Amino acid sequence: MGFHFKRLDYNLRQKGRSVLKTKNWLTMGTSVVLAASLLAGCGSNGSNGNNGGNTAGDTNGAANNGGSANEGAANGGGTKELSGKLVIWTFFDQVKDMADQFHAKNPGVTVDVKMFPGDQYQTKLLTALQSGRDVPDIFDLERGYIGKFIDSKFLTDLTAMGGDDLVKDYIPYVQELGRSSDNKLRAISDHSSPGGFWYQKDIAAKYLGTDDPDKISDMVSSWDKIVELGKKVAADSGGKEHLIQNAGDLFDIEAYNTQPWVKDGKLNIDPKWQTVYDTQQKIRQNNVDAKLPFMSAGWGNALNDGSVVLTSMPAWAGFMIDNKDDKAKGKYGVAKTPEGFYVGGTYRGIYDKSDNKELAYEFIKYIAGTEWQQHNLEKTGNMPGSGKVYEANVDTYKSAFFGDQNILKPYYESVKQMPAIKADKYGEDILSKWRKAAGDGITNNKSYDDVVKDFKKEVKNTFPELKLD
Amino acid sequence: MGSKVNKSHYGYFFIAPFFIGFAVFGLAPILYTLYLSFMKWDGFTDPVYVGVANYTRLLHDSFFYQTIWNTLIIWVFSNTPQLILALLLALILNEKFIRGKHFFRAVYFFPHIITPVTLGVIFSLMFDWQTGSINKLLMNLGIVHDPVNWFNSPWWSRIIASAVICWQYFGFNMIVFIAGLQSIPNEVYEAAEMDGATKRQTAVHITLPLLRPVFLFVFITSVIGGLQLFDAPLMLGDGPGNTSRTMVMYLYETAFKNFDYSYGAAVAYGIFIVVMFFTAITARASRLKE
Repeated sequence: MGFHFKRLDYNLRQKGRSVLKTKNWLTMGTSVVLAASLLAGCGSNGSNGNNGGNTAGDTNGAANNGGSANEGAANGGGTKELSGKLVIWTFFDQVKDMADQFHAKNPGVTVDVKMFPGDQYQTKLLTALQSGRDVPDIFDLERGYIGKFIDSKFLTDLTAMGGDDLVKDYIPYVQELGRSSDNKLRAISDHSSPGGFWYQKDIAAKYLGTDDPDKISDMVSSWDKIVELGKKVAADSGGKEHLIQNAGDLFDIEAYNTQPWVKDGKLNIDPKWQTVYDTQQKIRQNNVDAKLPFMSAGWGNALNDGSVVLTSMPAWAGFMIDNKDDKAKGKYGVAKTPEGFYVGGTYRGIYDKSDNKELAYEFIKYIAGTEWQQHNLEKTGNMPGSGKVYEANVDTYKSAFFGDQNILKPYYESVKQMPAIKADKYGEDILSKWRKAAGDGITNNKSYDDVVKDFKKEVKNTFPELKLD
Repeated sequence: MGSKVNKSHYGYFFIAPFFIGFAVFGLAPILYTLYLSFMKWDGFTDPVYVGVANYTRLLHDSFFYQTIWNTLIIWVFSNTPQLILALLLALILNEKFIRGKHFFRAVYFFPHIITPVTLGVIFSLMFDWQTGSINKLLMNLGIVHDPVNWFNSPWWSRIIASAVICWQYFGFNMIVFIAGLQSIPNEVYEAAEMDGATKRQTAVHITLPLLRPVFLFVFITSVIGGLQLFDAPLMLGDGPGNTSRTMVMYLYETAFKNFDYSYGAAVAYGIFIVVMFFTAITARASRLKE
């Protein structure tokens, strides 16, 4: 028995012990069954790729399509009817609504949305693009890694298809992120992601003495003011209540208000980060923050129970608010942060070797248009990418969470001013290394020089090709 | 004698499925990884041959050496208590007159059923600095005044990672030990009893020596499994100054987060050599005793 086990070990070195346990039972007896099922698995995957409309996509769309495609062809006259089938890959489930809306407008087009939630999406996408098999016509790219894809050979040049026209009214930073380094448009987003301080009105009234968004915006218009106000909140509440969630939130707010991390192949640390780091230390030392990381469980609780007065978060994060039985209706307000910021963003590009480019372009055109962005704003509260949609709604838009407040106004003002910077392949990764090094420094009260030293070491290790001072 | 072994070719068909499966899902990736390790490839452009540049980089990579050290520490911290616990429980639950031993065997095995990722998430929530239940409990009991920032301490990070693994696997090893105990023939114990051996003498001079093959199995699997630690520690994070980052986590971060596939491939072979080294030591040590 010992011998048998030992032999197995050597064979299974690569697979770890949990597999080993199963293997003991399975190896000899059922390897045939296993292999057969593996092969069967491959087979069914392949066929999924061909008729995925019935599986992952909108079944309605697929069902309707049978009839309407013919009608479309028969109609002929009047407006041009589109027909065909598009495959979209995404990590974001609201794309399904996008597909439904597009399908409702163009019944001849079946849109098959395949969703891969979680952070495995980009690996999966890259593998598919590399192999060139079962590739989508349109794929989504998140702000966090668009810089890696934007200069690749996989994205169609939308400028050549007339795409610049689609984004001419866009918020500058939103359209710029979809451009490759040669200034060609390669991807388009349908939204902007402005952030602000969200607060519960009664909590703000209790600790800040007002729930008026303009007054609160004034009270927190600089970081020094925030530190002073935070001290007061901590003192008034006996240390139980905190003004902001986390000193680390400044990384998000400053991320795109600073110079790019890499210039001409050289690591570039904006001197502004030192000021930011000092502020972050002051925030931590004076008990201004609740030390809760963005999007962690505790962070979500604090947002809902009001144990933190001001939460800096993007407009799209409204789903973190518990609105069961409309209990969050009119409960929140949003104030401006000392500097405008945005977090995240989803971009959509067309696969360069797609056979369906023209149709895919129609889809991109639709989501870049005012009709969809208006619908999306009303339905989900996601902020538009187009300045036109902002302007059309700026005085009228009301959101359930915010009662009478005109939230589009502060968002529009800050988002317009965000500098338009292209995404590069280093920016986000280096930012996350800075977060790690400086975050560690804040917690352990390290000097700025030590933080920079740790940071450079990390950068050098991951990107040996970059020059460092 | 002229006896003939039946060398019918049909036999190959029966063993073929395993070898086909292994060639496709085992051998091919292994060889492809070797090929990649001599290239420079980020997944976006075509691979470029760079010779041993990746291996040179690996040899000078202090982060990689740190992960070997971290992995060994976590391995020792998780396996020592785990094996002791598993053996003790196996000895106890193998006694004839223990009530509900089947129930306890099942209960101790439960953690093994949960996926390591889930366990990692559960532990990271439990030990969260601000909102974790452990800190809440300690503060309510008055043991600590301020919440402990567990994952800000290199040693706590490693101990918590070890605890997850220990907790997950002790049940499995316990079952293996029980199986080993049950395969020891009763006659030996009876003979010992006749000769007037005490319980203690029976345990030290009969049970433990006869359990040796099982020990060997458990030990070697734990060396291999322990050096490949990945999922649970990944959920707990890198720790301060990367002090709880394991070798495979480093491989994952390099290849699948930074998309440096070629260097990731070199790291994979680096890990392979480290694992080979420790397995060889283990195998050698076990042979010496024989």
